[in-house]
Order: sequence, then C-alpha cells, then structure tokens
Amino acid sequence: MEAAIAVNQLYKSYGDVRVVENLSFSVNRGEVFGFLGANGAGKSTTIECIVGTRKYDRGTVSILGLNPLQDRKQLFERVGVQFQETIYQDKIKVAELCEVTRSLYQAASNYRDLLQQFGLSEHLNRQVSELSGGQKQRLSIVLALIPNPEVVFLDELTTGLDAKVRREVWKYLSSLKAQGLTILLTSHFMDEVEALCDRIMIIKEGRSIFHGTVREAIAASPYDHLEDAYLWFTDKEELENASFSYPV
Amino acid sequence: MQAFHTLFKTEFKLSLRGIDMFIFALCMPVIVMIILGVVVGDRPAFEGASYTFLEQSFGAVTTIAICAGGVMGLPLVVSDYRHKKILKRFKVTPISPSLILAVQLAIYAIYSIVSLLLVYATSAICFGYDLKGSWLYFLGSYLLVMLSMFSIGILVGGIAPNVKIAGVIASLLYFPMLIFSGATLPYEIMPTALQKAADLLPLTQGIKLMKATSLGLPIDKVMWPVLIMILLAFICTSISVRFFKWE
Repeated sequence: MEAAIAVNQLYKSYGDVRVVENLSFSVNRGEVFGFLGANGAGKSTTIECIVGTRKYDRGTVSILGLNPLQDRKQLFERVGVQFQETIYQDKIKVAELCEVTRSLYQAASNYRDLLQQFGLSEHLNRQVSELSGGQKQRLSIVLALIPNPEVVFLDELTTGLDAKVRREVWKYLSSLKAQGLTILLTSHFMDEVEALCDRIMIIKEGRSIFHGTVREAIAASPYDHLEDAYLWFTDKEELENASFSYPV
Repeated sequence: MQAFHTLFKTEFKLSLRGIDMFIFALCMPVIVMIILGVVVGDRPAFEGASYTFLEQSFGAVTTIAICAGGVMGLPLVVSDYRHKKILKRFKVTPISPSLILAVQLAIYAIYSIVSLLLVYATSAICFGYDLKGSWLYFLGSYLLVMLSMFSIGILVGGIAPNVKIAGVIASLLYFPMLIFSGATLPYEIMPTALQKAADLLPLTQGIKLMKATSLGLPIDKVMWPVLIMILLAFICTSISVRFFKWE
C-alpha cells in the first residue's frame, strides 16, 4: 500500500540559510507521525512545503499519492490542515466559520458533533476573536477535522491547552486513528508524543537527527524517558558540532 | 454552489458588521443626491438646457457605490485576507480562487444595486425625478461601468502583495475617479483641460454613457467606450485569476 505522506530529499533555503535540509520520511496510513524539534528547527516550514503553501527548492512530496500543488482541489477534499496561530475573518462567529468550512467540502463531518467533542458547543454564537487562547486552539483542530480527512496535519496540536483538555484531545485523536486517520503532528510535549506517536523524527536546523519509533529513541539514549532522550539527542548534536568546530 | 452560497451569506454578514460599506456605498450616494437636489435640483443643467442639473447628475451619482465597493472595498478585503493568511488557509481546502473572487464581486454588486435603487427612490420621491431615456440602455451602461470598475478592483485585490500597497493603489484609482470623472464633482463645470484628462479615466467614459442614456440623448461614438470597458474587464479579470496570490 502506498504511503499516506511521502517526502523525499526535501530541501529549502532562504538565501544562504538552509531551513530544511534533505529530509526524507514517509508516513503509513493510520499512523501517527511526530515531528519534533526546537522552535525554529524547521518543523512548520517542512509542513508548509508538504501541503504546498510554501515553495521548496528540491525534493518530492506526495500526499495520498497526489501532488499537493497540481492536484490541490482533489487532494484537499481528503486532507485537513491546522496551522499555527491562525487569524480568521474580522467579527466572524464560531458557527459561521464552521459552516463556511463545511461548505467547502463535498463530504464533510457534522461540525456540531466535533464542537461538542472539543467542548465548544456553548460558544457557537460567539465571535472567534472573543475566544480564549485554548478555545481558539481547539477550534483550529475542529476546523482541520471538519473535512472528515484521511490525513491531517496538526502544527503544535495542544499548545495553550490545559492538562485535562490535552488528555481529551489525545483520546479523541486516538479514536480517529483507530478508524484509520493518518496524523502528522508537531509538538513540544513529550508526554503527548509518547501517548500518540507511532514514529517520530527529531530535527535540528532543518536536518534529521533521529528517525524511528519512540521506543527506539529511548533505547538509543542513556535515559528512560522520551523527554530526556529528546534533549540528549539535541544536545549531543551540539557537543559534536562544538568539538568539530574547536578541535583540541 | 453550496460553497458559494454559504460563503456569500457569511461574507455579506461580515461586511455589514464592518459598517464601512453601509456608509460609503449606501448612505453617501443618497446624501450627495439630496444635497444636489436641494441646492441645484430644478435648475437647468446649463443655459437653455432641456433637462435639469439633477437629471444630468443622476447617472454619475449612481456610480459612487460602484466605485466605493469595486475599487475600494473589494481590493481591500481580498488583500486583507491575504495579509491575515486567511487565503493561505483557503489554499489547503478545495476552494478555487475564482470562487473567492466571485463571492466578493457578488457582495459589492448587491451593494451597488441597492444603492442605485435608493438613489432612484430618493430623487423620484423627493425631487420628482423621472428617467427620461431608456431604462434598458441605462442599465446596460450601468452594468458596463460595474464590470469595468470591479475588474480593476479584482486585479488590485488579486495580486497586490499586501494590504498597504492595495490601499495605496486603490486610493490612487478611487479618489481621482470619484472626483474627476463626474461622480461627485459635475464634469460639466470642470475646465476643458481637466475634462480632457478626465476623459482618459474609464469611469468618465462610463458616466458619459449613463448620462446620455438616462437623459435620452443621442449617443455619439458609443462603440469606443463600450469596447474599451469590455476589454479592460476581460484583461483585468484574466490577469487576476491567472496570477492570483494566496500568500
């Protein structure tokens, strides 16, 4: 079976600054893939290159076997995307935003159920700009799920959410995963990554420094927890670079 | 079709909540008409003219809303959506650029038509105005003006890199046209040199056409303004759809 997301030798630079350096990975259908790295490591840029909102210099990208630029309309019937820090139309209400989003797809889910699931039902008639940060964050997940997608991209999935809501979001995403949804997410919370992701890629300055399962990441490090392992991977790289730059 | 309908309904509500267009497209033309009617309404347009100043101005005043919506409102909304990355979010959905533009076009067309009805009602009820020419020809030229003004707006909104540049371009187009084409300041009272310069503006040609059709005057050299406006509309619309910028 073809991969849900296939990225091969993706390369992107801004002038001399290399933001994404030859990344290759593929995500199987029904799999949750975590994309980890510090702020500015190139996670969002990579996602934007994959979904076609940013041009890349080299490499190939396909989602569900389709090209995100050439097959845009056909592909995005089946793919949901949540960007970081989204701004919506001035004075638009929650219900209106959901209704508009639903109308763009041929086979969309019932957004009322999704709003219910994400605890936003009582805010239907409020303006989006009046929502709290956490509520907006949940709304952006709802919007990504309205198309009833086969693949969903979630950039900083639970940033700004409290512990309880985060757990609920994980639970709900796990249930969607069980129904076959493919998820590519970025996160700064290692507990979240452990709870959700089948495989991860840790990137630093646009390069992959680890690619494998959560268990493999922990096993390859001297630690027992993903967070320690993650920090070890990112620091190790720094030490190696340092010793390379200043040979004794 | 469902997407168009839902987006149209929502965007129209948002536009009304924004109030600008209510003031500039709906209230302002009525106010201009009332002032004209009160100050110079029943005077003849010039010495020995067979029609009044108000009758002569009717066509021009009905274009105020077209300009406010098409040349100001339309490009600013589209470039604002680009700036706020709302278009970027649309890019990862199946929507097409032409649908986004069509929705905004429809909204500003409604504003313009409502304004036309209000201006007509005001001048008919308050000042006894009656369209002497043919409604059919008048509406034809009205639609032509709308077509060419909106296509300019679409072009600016579709490809301006940001809302500031769109604002500058829109102002550069909007104010000269509003002032010099006869929409607010009567073309007839301008010095000849200024009239000649104003003739280059597509709106001037459109207003001349509307003036003639509303007064039932013979239209000379009608082919050129019509052709130029249709060509302009075609070129601007094609460019804006072809080179539409999501971000």
